[in-house]
Amino acid sequence: MKIEENILNDVSSIKLEGRFDANTSDAVEKFIREKIEKGCSQFVLNMGNVSFISSAGLRVVIIIARELRNEHQGDLHIAVLQPSVKRVFEISGLNNILKIFNDEQTATEAFSK
Amino acid sequence: MYIRFWGVRGSIATPLTNVELEVKIETAVKLGIKAGITGDSQVPDFLESLPLHIRRTVGGDTACVEIQAGGKILILDAGTGLRRLGLDLIKRSGGNPIEAHILMTHTHWDHISGIPFFVPAFSSENNLTFYSPFPGLKERLARQQNSEYFPAPLSPTFRFVRLNEHTQFQIGDVKIDIFPLNHPGGSYSYRITYGNKTIIYATDSEYKELSVNSVKPFTDFFHGTDMLIFDAQYTMLENVEKEDWGHSNVFTGIDMAIEAKVKKLVFIHHEPGYNDEKLYTILLKAKEYVDINHPKVPLELLLAYEGLCMTL
Repeated sequence: MKIEENILNDVSSIKLEGRFDANTSDAVEKFIREKIEKGCSQFVLNMGNVSFISSAGLRVVIIIARELRNEHQGDLHIAVLQPSVKRVFEISGLNNILKIFNDEQTATEAFSK
Repeated sequence: MYIRFWGVRGSIATPLTNVELEVKIETAVKLGIKAGITGDSQVPDFLESLPLHIRRTVGGDTACVEIQAGGKILILDAGTGLRRLGLDLIKRSGGNPIEAHILMTHTHWDHISGIPFFVPAFSSENNLTFYSPFPGLKERLARQQNSEYFPAPLSPTFRFVRLNEHTQFQIGDVKIDIFPLNHPGGSYSYRITYGNKTIIYATDSEYKELSVNSVKPFTDFFHGTDMLIFDAQYTMLENVEKEDWGHSNVFTGIDMAIEAKVKKLVFIHHEPGYNDEKLYTILLKAKEYVDINHPKVPLELLLAYEGLCMTL
């Protein structure tokens, strides 16, 4: 899994590429937690290049979003989902608790509204 | 091996309510009118065509599963489903002594509350043995039947065998392995092998860390089984909200089953707050998850319901 970060106006935009599963979920969680420890509380997770998400990936998304909201007055916005990943978000119910955007810019700007 | 599910609900017995029953009848009648049913002969096919949540109830009795293998009767857990299994054993026995081996995952209420109502225990001629790695199982079960809680004490018919969780043991020609699960107070999984078939009963377990390395001890234990009976009490979101309550969900079960090359995955320990429609919707979503993420994997998914039986 390739993980890249771009910071704009205190929002950390993290672009993932590859499979978000039991082999890679730890790395994603560790990467975001390090940013949280440094004081960042607003994240955009760009998943446009994520072709697959398993329960391990879903769980990381849920626990990070919950922690940001409950402990840091922040949030995790999701940007750009491939159709199959979007459907997994829907059947697992994640679309009901997360803000999902069609592009990274809108997801980032939503923090300043 | 033959398996039959006598109790599939988690936490507390959950009888079908009159309102739920009336909704099923009303829906069935409306669908019958729509289908143009005019005669008795059409009824069997019509009933067969109804959605599962209308023509069936998953059931409200708590954990109890029967396995018959090598001439032995094994009972997994002794929740309220044990009561009707006991009556059936008496009917089947034709008056002959009953021999049954009861493997206990743990002693939370939903896994022990059928014991006071297990009628075969009322006869000292029957040979009924409990197995568990927990120390003091007899004392735990006896406390459930203290006079403050129940009018009769624990039956003296029962015998107790303390298991070593690291040692395979046998009941006749049936081989049994044990593995500890993640549940408050502890719980154990049983891997039951007879001939070249295996069934694993793994209820009441939570998997908080889902990385390959974290789940490997479990997927190693589950590896290659013909049937994995898996705790899927919660949805994915509830599983995070109810952290440390000791249960799991269908998506985690699917990923672990695929990693372990399981053939059939049976979801059990259903949330008492879920009605039949919700449970069958969860099953459909689970099947869609497999279709999306693992379209080439031949994993069969089943929702455990009272009366589900099959031969492996």
